[in-house]
Amino acid sequence: MTHRLTHRRWFTPWLLAGPAVVWLAVFNLWPAVNTVILSFTNAKPLGGGHFTGLDNYERALSDEQLIDALVNSIVYLLVCLPLLTLLPLLLALLVEKKLPGITFFRTAFYTPVVASAVVVALIWGWVLDDRGLVNGVLGQLGLADQPVSFLTDRWLLLFSAIGLTVWKGLGYYMVIYLSALGNVARELHEAAAVDGASAVRRFWHVTLPGVRPAMMLISVLISVSALRVFSELYVLSNGTGGPGGRDMSVVMLIQMYSRGFTGHIGYASALSLLLFMITVGPMLLLARLNRKAA
Amino acid sequence: MRTSHWIRLAVAAVAAATLVGCGLGDPNGSGGTGAGDASAGGEVKGKVSLQTWALKPKFTAYMEGVIDAFEKKHPGVQVEWLDQPGEGYSEKVLSQAAGGTLPDVVNLPPDFALPLVKQNMLLDVAKADPKRASDYVEGGTAAYRFAGQDGTYGYPWYLNTDVNYWNATLLTRYGLDPKKPPATLDELIAAARTVKEKSDGSVYLMSRKPGLMDFANAGVKLMSDDGKTFTFNTPEAAALLDTYRGAFKDGLLPKDVLTEKYAGNAKLFTSGTVAWTTAGGNYITSLAADNPSLAPQVVSSPAMGTPPLYVQGLSVSGGTKNRATALALARWVTNAENQAAFARLTSIFPSTKASASDAFFSKSDGTNAGDAKVTAFSSLAGARMLEPVQANDAIKTVINQQIALALSGRTSSKEALDTAVTRCNQMLKD
Repeated sequence: MTHRLTHRRWFTPWLLAGPAVVWLAVFNLWPAVNTVILSFTNAKPLGGGHFTGLDNYERALSDEQLIDALVNSIVYLLVCLPLLTLLPLLLALLVEKKLPGITFFRTAFYTPVVASAVVVALIWGWVLDDRGLVNGVLGQLGLADQPVSFLTDRWLLLFSAIGLTVWKGLGYYMVIYLSALGNVARELHEAAAVDGASAVRRFWHVTLPGVRPAMMLISVLISVSALRVFSELYVLSNGTGGPGGRDMSVVMLIQMYSRGFTGHIGYASALSLLLFMITVGPMLLLARLNRKAA
Repeated sequence: MRTSHWIRLAVAAVAAATLVGCGLGDPNGSGGTGAGDASAGGEVKGKVSLQTWALKPKFTAYMEGVIDAFEKKHPGVQVEWLDQPGEGYSEKVLSQAAGGTLPDVVNLPPDFALPLVKQNMLLDVAKADPKRASDYVEGGTAAYRFAGQDGTYGYPWYLNTDVNYWNATLLTRYGLDPKKPPATLDELIAAARTVKEKSDGSVYLMSRKPGLMDFANAGVKLMSDDGKTFTFNTPEAAALLDTYRGAFKDGLLPKDVLTEKYAGNAKLFTSGTVAWTTAGGNYITSLAADNPSLAPQVVSSPAMGTPPLYVQGLSVSGGTKNRATALALARWVTNAENQAAFARLTSIFPSTKASASDAFFSKSDGTNAGDAKVTAFSSLAGARMLEPVQANDAIKTVINQQIALALSGRTSSKEALDTAVTRCNQMLKD
């Protein structure tokens, strides 16, 4: 009887974990490994697949569109990271209070999160185009003689997309902060208040350390989504990447190269790997900063 | 500790998510074998599959009638009809080709057929069925012959072309004669200027940027004869682009034309914001559904320059196990009688020579939609494929990006065209 139990102990975990392991191996691990392999080939949907060494990576280094896309991603990251790390925290502090009607504001702030990114981007496209609401208001107020090129100027288009990302992300990160704020011991606030700490000092020395784990998680999530942005730029530029394709993101480039009968899967895979490495960088940096701060 | 655990989880999740989705199938997947040396010989019997593109549910009865008649004519034949949705058709065909499951007879426009021909996945129907050529108009057959490839790889099915559509009410309101709409680019720009001035900029006539078809119409050679390099960065193309740059700078085109795709032009016309668009021969019929009050105000005229030819055809898979039946079916579906019946259901035009004298296409019923159909049909005689089939979506995206950059004035026309040609040639070479 004892022997049988021991035997069961040996295979039972594998039996339980087996389906998940197989699933991960087939749908996560193998595609990842396959992407690495393909990045060293001239693979196409039909044909190709011959080893080409570092050709795809050499080409990427001299690809002007990739450089533009990387610049866009870095600007996206630099603007989105502070805004989406701090604004949702302030919002969470506001709506955390138990006031009459506060549920309405919580719901209102969260509503953009529920909406589809593509639908929201389409609506923003109508709002920002030459004959859209914003240009109409600017014209009516006499603030602009000509429509502002929100969707056709390289930088205005990029910042319009950033604005959309920030607006849509506020509610999501606010909810994470709300949950983190719930875990900050009220006694600490009370003790600090008794010691004469002002609201700002309490925020700095009690609230911030209390939500720091959530803040780090949010920073990582923002970094990743900023570097991998797609929907906002794609929809606002109508899939064109803006004049000269200068508003393309790296993911848009990957999509452009990998699609269709003649897609260059090898090069698209190399771009995917580069994006992966670039994405991991800020995350490791944030993790290191967090360890230091801790 | 808690935070670093979260970070590690996030890193792992992102690592997986970033790489997943880039995972790709076997690059060497192949669906066909030895397609080039076909012969039509063999008995017409057995099972055969036919794949069409977005014909259900509107044309279900028609297709079932065609298939039933074929099965009746050839007892012992069983046709399996597959109809794929309009969206994602290229991806569907691609996965079928890569997986070796291409149907025996498949609806492929020429640009879908070429990559399959390069992989020897389609049958050379000129070799397998030499008598076929005499049945179809030359433009339709030529669409399935490709530079650098011997043979013909499809039966032309139905054709269409572009027609100019004008909003007669807007033209009249701003002092233009809808009976004499602009017929050249210079006239178009002059008319656009009039509309802009008289409407105080609230209405546009032009709302699309130039593309490969415009260059072809300006006499620019778009590709080398071997189909391996683009050659449209010529002074003539730059001059045409300069003309558009001037028009854009003068505010004759809306600014968002820079990021609009081709459909944006028709969309603005449908909403009554612009007074000119180009579209197929059945545009007024679809406009009547989208904007019923505008449809009666629309007049048509022939396309400027050489009209473009749009071809749909049926190809036969090189891997078919029932070659004789597949060829017979492709020819049956595309014969004059079946095409004529199809064309009576919707505004497409048969690719068979026998239909040229069909009064149904050459006489209008007096409506503006009927006039447009006749305009389109009479244009077909001079129409040709203006865009090379090598210009796939990715290549067109790059060209559009550079044309938009030139129009915006941030680079010269020549520089934009040079960049477009360099990038497109790199994509062709890949």
